[in-house]
Amino acid sequence: MGDFFEYLKSEWSFASAHPELAFAILVIGYGILMIGFFAAFAGPVTWIERRVAGRMQCRIGPNRVGPQGFLQWLADGMKNFLKEDLIPNDADRILFRLAVYPVFAGVFLTFVVLPFGPWIVGADLDVGIVYLLAVTALVVTGIIMSGWASNSKWALLGGIRSAAQMVSYEVAAGMALLTAIIPGGSLSLQGIIEHQGGWPWQWLVFFSPATFVAFFVYFVASLAEGNRTPFDLPEAESELVSGYNTEYSGMRFLFFAFAEWGNLYVIGAVITAVFLGGWRIPGVDLATQTNNLWLQLLGAAIFIAKASILVSVTIWLRWTLPRLRVDQLMMMCWKYFVPIGIGLVVFSLVWQLVAAAVPTWVTGAVSVLLTLAGAALVAGMFWRAWYNIRSGKDTPVYKWLI
Amino acid sequence: MGSVASYVENIKNAAVTIFEGMAVTLSWMFRRPITIQYPDRTPEPVKSMLPGRFRGILEVHIPACTACSACARACPIDVILVETKKHPSGKGRLLTRFDIDISKCMYCGLCTEACPTGCLHHTPVFEASARDIRNLVLHFVDKPVVPYKHKKGTPVPEMPPSGSIVEQLLKPWDAEYVQWTPGEIEVPTEGEAGGAGGKGSSAPREKEGKG
Amino acid sequence: MDSTQSKQSVSDDLMILNMGPQHPSTHGVIRFIITGDGEVMQRAVPHVGYLHRGIEKLAEGMPYPSFVPFTDRVDYLAAMFANHGYALAVERLLGLEVPRRAEYLRVIVSELNRIASHLIGVGAMAMDIGAFTPFLHGIREREKLNDIIEELCGARLTYNYVRVGGVAFDIPAGLDRKILSFLDTFEPLMEEFNRLITVNEILVKRCANVAIIDAETAKSYGLVGPNLRGSGVDWDLRRDLPYSAYPEFDFKVCVGRGVRGTLGDAYDRFVVRVEEMMESVKILRQALAGIPEGDIMAKVPRKLKPPKGEAYAAVESARGELGYHVISDGKDKPYRVKIRAGSFTATSIIEHASKGLMIADLVVLIASLDVIAPEIDR
Repeated sequence: MGDFFEYLKSEWSFASAHPELAFAILVIGYGILMIGFFAAFAGPVTWIERRVAGRMQCRIGPNRVGPQGFLQWLADGMKNFLKEDLIPNDADRILFRLAVYPVFAGVFLTFVVLPFGPWIVGADLDVGIVYLLAVTALVVTGIIMSGWASNSKWALLGGIRSAAQMVSYEVAAGMALLTAIIPGGSLSLQGIIEHQGGWPWQWLVFFSPATFVAFFVYFVASLAEGNRTPFDLPEAESELVSGYNTEYSGMRFLFFAFAEWGNLYVIGAVITAVFLGGWRIPGVDLATQTNNLWLQLLGAAIFIAKASILVSVTIWLRWTLPRLRVDQLMMMCWKYFVPIGIGLVVFSLVWQLVAAAVPTWVTGAVSVLLTLAGAALVAGMFWRAWYNIRSGKDTPVYKWLI
Repeated sequence: MGSVASYVENIKNAAVTIFEGMAVTLSWMFRRPITIQYPDRTPEPVKSMLPGRFRGILEVHIPACTACSACARACPIDVILVETKKHPSGKGRLLTRFDIDISKCMYCGLCTEACPTGCLHHTPVFEASARDIRNLVLHFVDKPVVPYKHKKGTPVPEMPPSGSIVEQLLKPWDAEYVQWTPGEIEVPTEGEAGGAGGKGSSAPREKEGKG
Repeated sequence: MDSTQSKQSVSDDLMILNMGPQHPSTHGVIRFIITGDGEVMQRAVPHVGYLHRGIEKLAEGMPYPSFVPFTDRVDYLAAMFANHGYALAVERLLGLEVPRRAEYLRVIVSELNRIASHLIGVGAMAMDIGAFTPFLHGIREREKLNDIIEELCGARLTYNYVRVGGVAFDIPAGLDRKILSFLDTFEPLMEEFNRLITVNEILVKRCANVAIIDAETAKSYGLVGPNLRGSGVDWDLRRDLPYSAYPEFDFKVCVGRGVRGTLGDAYDRFVVRVEEMMESVKILRQALAGIPEGDIMAKVPRKLKPPKGEAYAAVESARGELGYHVISDGKDKPYRVKIRAGSFTATSIIEHASKGLMIADLVVLIASLDVIAPEIDR
């Protein structure tokens, strides 16, 4: 917000006359805008999730409430508003009520550093990534509080398991992020994005084999942090209970769910910022984009689009994969992801030394090769889908596809 | 080296099978869903999409009923109530009551197989919800009739389209319950030789369809 | 959907948990009392009887042919087998010979029902493990089967089709072509199903080496059907105690091989069911190719009065041996009908097999045994 404020001071006389007041108004306005964005994203994401779930299961999703069922989430929200606010008899009343807030705040506070454009960011902290990791730890305290306050052994176990899962996968996620930060050169998200370029081969994901693998490791680790399938045993019908949010109903429950859906966006946004080039536009260099407000907005749109694609992949995974058992989950973290993460960090460090010693065309060639590998992966996925369509003989296919 | 090999094998298996699974679900995004949205967005009315042998709600075409009560005897759960009374002229019987409780019926079809004329048959009608369960007892005889005398080999009186009788009888879902009484037996002015009412002047069952 | 509460046991440190009669899964109304310390269970005791409807007692009050619709409700996911077992038992009492065309029709509908039941069995197992999509794909195939059987006999779930002495209806024109075209589309879709879930590494990790039941335990507890074959015991009533037209068909009996784990684990039972579906397709093709002409019903008197005696007949249902013991005392209503269902013994082994399992594995165990509550309780 600092750069934007400097620009504002030149345009808006009120800003130069009363800088602190104007800055406060700007920041609060941005916060309200972010809450609005959070809500406007979380609601429709459920619509997309249910429609996508329906189509993958060869049925239609909700399509009656509003055009194509778009207002279904509003109806569900209204329903939750009107539900009875239930607190179990022996539950710890204060903690029960209080537990929602760390969970929601932990997710929402990450929006401070999530950038949308060169100037469209809450605060471009120098230690943005560390701030992100720290603030997501708030969610863990909220979950433990909710599990304990529910006065149900089951909710307690679910909450502790969920907390253990989140804490472990933060280590793995941190390692993967570190792998990308080493070439990125800066801990601040804006800095990493500025280091990347608009074209795919300039993205950090295709910079070195280490970052390529780190992309997948970070994606899976952030799925685990967000309690999404295949890691949602603490939450979705784990032993037929709902884990830490069993005893919650109505609006309180909706806040937990809200936080989870908002977290989806945070996952997508962080991956886009660190690995996929953020708000950079292909072919436009940094200075031009910074000076032109329309290009900034275009960058924001590109950022949101990339994050949305990743959110769609998350939803796609949810409806494809079964769940891992909790001990298998923990084993996968500590025996697979953390060692691989450490190896990736070391590889990335070595790669930095190698890249310094080797002519630039070599690193460029590696980037192009990795881009082609990525494109081949995506194309291979579509080819296998096409193979499935072709071999499933009688299922009706859309005419425009054949 | 075995453990390293199995480590790598695990990772490779996981990646490949997850990729394949994702491709399958992705392929379904491009195929049409197979569900039909009942009842308002079906391509044609559901009743016409049902096969001919569909065992829907029962109906009986009374002009072809011989009052033999074979259906009432065949029913395992006593859903059908057939009552006959002596014809006032003294000869033969009158069919005064033919009730089917479709809320209890299990649509097994044993009664339709027992019927000698085929007047009792299943229809493609299946939508019969009612607010009051007593409305689901269908009374097919509103005034007493002489049962049909069936000779083997002769054609049965022509039956209306399957389902039309029961659709007229089914009340709207929120209709109030009105107690039904059997029609009065008219003492005939002229001698109406009632056809010999079927094989069984079966003792009417004591049980109501549904009280 | 809250179905668990926990109370601390006073005497020891074990936790008693109640997996109540209502489950968010399709196995029916069974209750489990689980004793364990947090994660690892010591015992899971099933409490059954919530779905008891007194079917065996009802049989004593109605004539032999009228009981057939009630046998539908013994196992409503695969009702043809239930009809068939009862019909076989009464035919043995009467000494009836069923026409060959009826036998072929019985085999055809039995195998169609086996496919339908296994689709639900493996689909529900996948759903309990967290993959919701394969269940719905299985339901999609099952709907096509329901449509076929609806054209044949008029009902989609409770068929009342296989009667004493034959079958009730003949195949209408064009239905055999419909069944063949269904089979042609079913095989590629099953391969897609396998790509989606059967070889999925996460499912393998959840099911392999979990809930291992070795052959000796399986036999001593009286397991039947895919549960028994999943433990490696090569026993199938269709081949070993043949009935109906099965001797004329060539099919393989699918036995668990310990693929991806130990022999007798949950994954073996899953794979046995998937393979059995493909074998059923083979049998169906042979049967459809060779239906003989003839009657579909033997000459059966209207009022069946079998001579005094008893008969036991069993069919290889989707859940194993579904046996009927019919005792007649000369009247037109049976003296006693006893139904032996495969799910009953499968429920009894849950307590034994649940020692040392984690609670998440209990769900896998119950799902892999393909337990159906109406069969347990009748």
